Amino acid sequence: MLTLFRYATSSSRRTCHSTLRYYATSETPKPPIKLVAELRKLTETSVVKAREALVASNNDVNGALAWLQKDLATSGVKKAAKVEGRATREGMIGVSVLSRGAGANTGTVRAGMVEVNCETDFVGRNELFGKLVRDIAHTAAFIAERPSNFKDHTSSIWPYQVDALLEAPLLSQSNPTSSHFSTVRTAIRDTISKVGENIELRRAVASVIDPNPHQNLEGYRVASYLHGSLALPNVGRMGILAFLRLRSPHLSKLLASDTFSADLDKLERSLARQIAGFDTQYVSVVEGVDAQQADASISAALYEQPFMMFASEEPVRNVLKMWTEEREMGQTGGDLESNGIHVHEFAKWTVGEPVE
Amino acid sequence: MNIGTIGHVDHGKTTLTAAITKVLASRGGAKFTDYAQIDKAPEEKARGITINSAHVEYETDKRHYGHIDCPGHADYIKNMITGAAQMDGAIIVVSATDGQMPQTREHLLLARQVGVKKLVVFINKVDQIDDPEMLELVDMEIREVLSTYSFDGENTPIIMGSALAALEGRDEHIGASKIEELVKACDDWLDLPARDFDKPFLMPIEDVFSISGRGTVCTGRVERGIANKGMDVEIVGLEMFHKELDRGEPGDNMGALLRGVKREQVRRGQVIMAPGSMKAVKKVLAQIYVLTKDEGGRFAPFMAGYRPQLFVRTADITVHLTFPEGTLNAEEKMVMPGDNVEMVCDLHTDVAAEPGTRFTLREGGKTIGTGVVTKILQ
Repeated sequence: MLTLFRYATSSSRRTCHSTLRYYATSETPKPPIKLVAELRKLTETSVVKAREALVASNNDVNGALAWLQKDLATSGVKKAAKVEGRATREGMIGVSVLSRGAGANTGTVRAGMVEVNCETDFVGRNELFGKLVRDIAHTAAFIAERPSNFKDHTSSIWPYQVDALLEAPLLSQSNPTSSHFSTVRTAIRDTISKVGENIELRRAVASVIDPNPHQNLEGYRVASYLHGSLALPNVGRMGILAFLRLRSPHLSKLLASDTFSADLDKLERSLARQIAGFDTQYVSVVEGVDAQQADASISAALYEQPFMMFASEEPVRNVLKMWTEEREMGQTGGDLESNGIHVHEFAKWTVGEPVE
Repeated sequence: MNIGTIGHVDHGKTTLTAAITKVLASRGGAKFTDYAQIDKAPEEKARGITINSAHVEYETDKRHYGHIDCPGHADYIKNMITGAAQMDGAIIVVSATDGQMPQTREHLLLARQVGVKKLVVFINKVDQIDDPEMLELVDMEIREVLSTYSFDGENTPIIMGSALAALEGRDEHIGASKIEELVKACDDWLDLPARDFDKPFLMPIEDVFSISGRGTVCTGRVERGIANKGMDVEIVGLEMFHKELDRGEPGDNMGALLRGVKREQVRRGQVIMAPGSMKAVKKVLAQIYVLTKDEGGRFAPFMAGYRPQLFVRTADITVHLTFPEGTLNAEEKMVMPGDNVEMVCDLHTDVAAEPGTRFTLREGGKTIGTGVVTKILQ
């Protein structure tokens, strides 16, 4: 339809202008400019598309809206195919934490993080794009299930298959009851049609863990931080998702205390910012490396870094130990790693960074 | 003057830039620069900061233009902060087939942020639209959105043409002639920034000497304006005096004999300037770029309350950085190397500054950031 129309226009320009008029006026009246403008305000569709929709629907705005919706499926695919393969180095990272874990809701951890790329930071900064990223992160967190065949039992944050997420129904965070159905893939396509840039869902992780059966002794929590956010707080240029484990003989009592919860919140935020702000790559020093690597590994190890984001010169390891002692969290046995508060794992992403 | 092209990736801003150089080259006002050369947007260093931006130059009958084309928002902001290519005006490029797009909003906000007051719009690819009413609609919508972002929507020149036609040398009526029209609109509509010569006199003091039998002499390089012998000047820094000067022009390294001023009363970091042309300020709002580790900057982030040294002209002042009022979670907000951020600068001592004054931030002998004053607070 589109190609045919364009063909008619370009030939009419040179030879037979009247033919086009004939084409436009005989079958349907030419759409009034006011309606085109109205349609564009409603949909942000292109000028050409808006007119095409009105021609097809006999200048009925509702009809044109339906036509556009249907057309998006075909023209969106075309547009997406046209921009496919173009480099996408900009974009945003979205984090969604639906349930923070121990002390909140049922104690379940449920969170997701995604990176969505586009071509320029102009589009990256646009709210339309930001909402798309936010909703995809929300979807990932919402539908994620710990894969049954997931072999690595020690991991708490695992990669979510991008292809699977693309086929999932998009769940809007702002409007959960929206009747408008689209998958993540079609939502991306719709945005491509509107902004005209290639957009790709690059990677996704999720963390979904049921509460420990011994809730009174052990609990799990997620902490998150986004750096470089604009209008939307859950979307930024760097994203951190960290998984923590709490152990104490009287955990339930502690979590029920408002003071403890508030302190824990603050500590978690500081940990997430510490991971973001420094060149943090591991939780603690990796064993079995040579001397030079060991040096680099120490500065990249969260537990060895001075905990600047908690206004402390002490290494994170010591601060966590003191924090645990001050709150008399007590012992369930063993070393630091098995007592008090422990950062088990984290994911740290920056937009456009190389991925293995 | 400097102008830049801003627009969606597919709307032909690079083609337009190439077309301008082609059309003007035909009458000797430019060197033709083709699409590929501009599109590459080479990486360059300005004040140690990496910026991607393509530069071309051309001359119209009236003016000389430096034209920049950057791939992203961040590059334009860095250009503004470092002063590498301060944009005095901009050409917004919009395709006639798409009309304005959601990100047009970001394009206009950027123009505002980098201090562009007037712009010219080029509606490209008009050969793909057969219906003049549709073009009117695009025109109407653009004027509306311009006004929304406090540009003069009513009077901003909007030129409709085809950059590709101009580049390929076909369809003169929508090609080359429209480029001519665009360039003329830039000449007529965009305001020339005041030249250094025309601005009020200003010289930062580098050194102060006492010459026996004559008095106190201050040396420095004239930043702008002209001073004539016998002219009243004001010394801004801590105290003010009205004294006599010899003639000096921008770029001159000169010494100024200040009658009746004691050596101890003047020092490096103060400025000598035309009375009343600038104020001593204590607190400003500034847009700051924080250098990355690779650019020689900090490794670690900083928070509100950070106190680096602020270097402006010859002055060196301790500054206290905080977030503007109303910032969410200001006490926990951090600034990381590579960030562009707006901050409040509390200066330990007064210094002469105005919106547009550039400075660098240093700590322990290395430059960690660079910024530009956007507003005087106190």
